[in-house]
Amino acid sequence: MTMNPPDLITILIVGGIGLVAIGAVGMAVSRHLLRLVLALALAEAGVNLLLVLAGYRWDAVAPILTGAAVTRPMVDPVPQALVLTAIVIGVGVQALAVALMIRVREAYGTLDIRELKTRVEQDICGAAGIAPPESANAPGGSQPYPVPVTTSRESA
Amino acid sequence: MNALALPVVLPLLAAFLVRPASLVSSGLARWLGPLVLLLCGAMLVDIALLADGQPVSANIGGFAPPLGIVFYADSMALLFAIAVPLFALLLWPREGMREGGDRVSALMLLLVGSGTGMALSGDLFNLYVFYELLAVASFGLVAASGTARAWAATVRYLLISGFGSVLALIGVALIYTQTGTLNLAQLSEFAPERLANPLGLAAFACLLIGFGVKAELFPVNAWVPEVYATAPKRVSALLAGVVSKLAILVVLRLILLVFDLPEARQLLLVLGLIGLVSGELAAWRARDLPRMLAFSSIGQLGLLFMAMSIPGELGLIAALAVALHHLLMKPALFLLAERWSGGLENLAGAGRKAPLAAGLFTLFALSLLGVPPLPGFWAKLVLLLGLGQQDAVLAQAAIFGVLLMAVVEAHYLFRLVGLLYAKTAHDATPHHRGDLAVASLLGLVLLASMPLLPTLAEGLGWMAHQASDVAAYRAAILDSTIPGVAP
Repeated sequence: MTMNPPDLITILIVGGIGLVAIGAVGMAVSRHLLRLVLALALAEAGVNLLLVLAGYRWDAVAPILTGAAVTRPMVDPVPQALVLTAIVIGVGVQALAVALMIRVREAYGTLDIRELKTRVEQDICGAAGIAPPESANAPGGSQPYPVPVTTSRESA
Repeated sequence: MNALALPVVLPLLAAFLVRPASLVSSGLARWLGPLVLLLCGAMLVDIALLADGQPVSANIGGFAPPLGIVFYADSMALLFAIAVPLFALLLWPREGMREGGDRVSALMLLLVGSGTGMALSGDLFNLYVFYELLAVASFGLVAASGTARAWAATVRYLLISGFGSVLALIGVALIYTQTGTLNLAQLSEFAPERLANPLGLAAFACLLIGFGVKAELFPVNAWVPEVYATAPKRVSALLAGVVSKLAILVVLRLILLVFDLPEARQLLLVLGLIGLVSGELAAWRARDLPRMLAFSSIGQLGLLFMAMSIPGELGLIAALAVALHHLLMKPALFLLAERWSGGLENLAGAGRKAPLAAGLFTLFALSLLGVPPLPGFWAKLVLLLGLGQQDAVLAQAAIFGVLLMAVVEAHYLFRLVGLLYAKTAHDATPHHRGDLAVASLLGLVLLASMPLLPTLAEGLGWMAHQASDVAAYRAAILDSTIPGVAP
């Protein structure tokens, strides 16, 4: 069974949008950092596919000038250059993410974002010398902290 | 010839020379960065003086736009472009970060090169590339503090930023399918016809949220408190002060040239208002100074997005005034927070030990609130006047929101100022002299701008007039037949 080019384009566009959607949902529901990075990679792949399709023509040749006269129309090179750049940037950023994740895993022993969130919060509070929010030492009530101005004045 | 390209190219080149230079001599590596920044700043000032208020453009490699890559510098772009090397120089990492010092220098240079490129770039493709470079440089700078919490914060920042770039790319793809170009000048020509529709609006929303990650825009600002609390304070100052403004500049250009739609402005107003309210309320609940400053920064940038939603030159003036005020204010506050990073209650009496730092903090707090003679008051006044001109219920609600949040802001800032001057013995280490000097310098600039306000207002008015002249922008870029018409 042969497929008409326009149908193929529709399939590719739907595929691109689908990849972006899968990536976006993955980023929304995943709890593991590696899954988040993979979801991001999927979404990026989808966008790159959409970008290539934005300038693609089925009856055209690759946009390479060789000096010889070009008889057929050429594919628009701008989206292809943009996609190449985006792919390179994406790879670099993902590599950086994974490298940082190794450090995080070594330091905290987990890559679960909820656990990490509390651990980092405790760490920040510890470094700042204040009690972490859920600890028994945290000040209660709606006031973020009771200001002991009057008592401290007495003690001074 | 292409003098405009040098302030972008030189720092990028120098970034990769720092490491080899350190093999030759450590002194050379240490001074290479600041010297290059000084040179770039001087070159940009020179271009600004030569241009004498007229826009300048440069075609890279001799290819004429719209096919070629174009740099465009009007007064607004030059102002932000000069701010990048200038503030990077003021906030240059101290000797304290000896370990991996040349790596940090290289990242700073990368940040400056890409930041300047972002301010000058005239097409979306380049804006995207410079934006990504800027993002990677800032990830590196945050992670360079070398603590586990900074790494965890960076991963989160990276993921949100990556999601933002995916959205920005979707926006770029949508624009390209509709118009077939990414050159801003050409887009401004096609926009009324091809982008004033739901698809164009979707493209704007994608680009806004994509670039908005750096500008701490409401749905994509979850990284802000953790990053500012864990990064070195000078890096936080740079991110909050300068990097956020570059993203703002991109959004300003987009809304001026391409998406001059009422719906787009409404989106800015709503997201800005949510950012303002959520940021200020979170700052009110914060228990340590760095995170209080981080949340208040979200609030201030929300205010900035609201200013950008005002149509016409008045809106642009308001946006520039709020942006410049925040540019001066936040780096100075983060520098003061360097030694005061503990819990707020630990700061009781700290002001008596460090009178200059406490005095500066009080000055900045007053200006941030908008107490009359200080510049912060005029910035907020222009914003409120602009919002008041509109009849929409939303604008009225926004005015109410701004005033209400000013009360919240006053409460938490005065609470802290009171705490600083409490009569308690305090044994904090004094501020580093360099930090205090830079903060005092910014404070002096703030005070000096008070008598100069009429001149400043005139300057901002001229800048806004020039930036909103779309026909002139198009003419400057598309009609320049000679390649490389730099001064």
